[in-house]
Amino acid sequence: MLDIKLLSFRYQFKTILSQLSFRAVTGEILHITGPNGSGKTTLMSLLAGLRKEAGGTIEYRLPSGKAAEDRRTYVEYLPAEANALFGKMDAMSNLRFWRKLRNLEASDASIRAVLKKWDLDHPLVRQNFPVESFSTGMKRRLALARLELSETPCWLLDEPLYGLDTKGIETFQLMLDEHLKKGGITIIVSHDITPLERFPLRRLDLLQEARA
Amino acid sequence: MKRFLTQYRALLWQALQVEWSNSERWMSPLLFSTTMILLFAFAFGKVDVAFLPQLYIAATYLTASFSLQIAFSRVLEPDTQDRVFDQLRTYPISPSAWFLSKYTIVILLGALILLPTLFLSNLFLNNEGPVSLLNSSVLIVAVLMLLSLGAIGVLLSTMMLRSNAKQILYPLLYFPLTVPVLLSAVESSRMILVDGKDLSYLMSSWLGLLVIFGIMYFTLCLLLFGELVKPE
Repeated sequence: MLDIKLLSFRYQFKTILSQLSFRAVTGEILHITGPNGSGKTTLMSLLAGLRKEAGGTIEYRLPSGKAAEDRRTYVEYLPAEANALFGKMDAMSNLRFWRKLRNLEASDASIRAVLKKWDLDHPLVRQNFPVESFSTGMKRRLALARLELSETPCWLLDEPLYGLDTKGIETFQLMLDEHLKKGGITIIVSHDITPLERFPLRRLDLLQEARA
Repeated sequence: MKRFLTQYRALLWQALQVEWSNSERWMSPLLFSTTMILLFAFAFGKVDVAFLPQLYIAATYLTASFSLQIAFSRVLEPDTQDRVFDQLRTYPISPSAWFLSKYTIVILLGALILLPTLFLSNLFLNNEGPVSLLNSSVLIVAVLMLLSLGAIGVLLSTMMLRSNAKQILYPLLYFPLTVPVLLSAVESSRMILVDGKDLSYLMSSWLGLLVIFGIMYFTLCLLLFGELVKPE
């Protein structure tokens, strides 16, 4: 469970988030909504540990109820406007690198199994082909493959469907379904909600929260 | 410890792969260095043997200092693309493993520029070979200088990523911080080549200062790096 209490954030002199409290629980998707500039991406970067909160607490609670020492071990973040991939490296090297950083086994077989799901397992695509030559959709699929390979229980997804075609969206739905069944937590910021309607979705409107 | 080593190896291997796939990043400082040494050689022409060591030291360290600055300022460039640096900050990475991997790559990159610079400088300036300018003591001094400058290089490149001042910040901080290191390296080399002193003698003077600055910069940069990658 991700437990957020009285979270506040200011940027220069402007208050972006003020005393925001909520919980993201296992097996459901928390959908963050709000107009442009309401602080959705700021909230995601706070949860990911990129920014420091001005007040309040963000805790990832283990099944025992104890707060995790470093929540980054349990959280994987997918930013909106980037995929965080090394352009000069190929798909396999990228995924292998990120998996090793999480201290996970990074065999070719395990990586290829996920690449296959995302339709990136072609020999001319997965190896010796720099990621910078991928299309927008392919890069997004590779970033989503990294998300799956992270084996983290909490996913923070900022516009995850950006650039995905119909098949990509279907694969994403399957991956999300599997994640939620395993007791995963998902927090999503997305303007395209239709592909997510089949999932248990809870809405958190930042504008309403700010008024409350 | 196992986690630390795995992360260190992964970060270092990735950095090596990126450098290898983009040889322009180390090739251009090396070409810059070769051009500068050539210019010095042409400008000075035939030089009095007694003056040769001083010229060698001045030309080599000036060239090395600028070339290394160019190389170091670009060391985190691949991480800036596609928000890789931010993604790394969201991972449970040991800041020490991260710093040490960058430091290792900086030292390797620096050696790839510094060693040919020393060799080419000796070749071009000392083309008639009346005195030996490139000896093991001078090499040790140059490597010690590189070890100190490398730590500053990693820290300042990271600071550049996290600061709004970006381009202006690096030269502004790099030069004052490198002055003591460069001065002690130049003085140590001069005492070796001109006065014929050995390393054990120099340890109680300029070389000692170089070692102290090296340890101080490495420790400070290792500690400060952790602060730089923390949440803003």
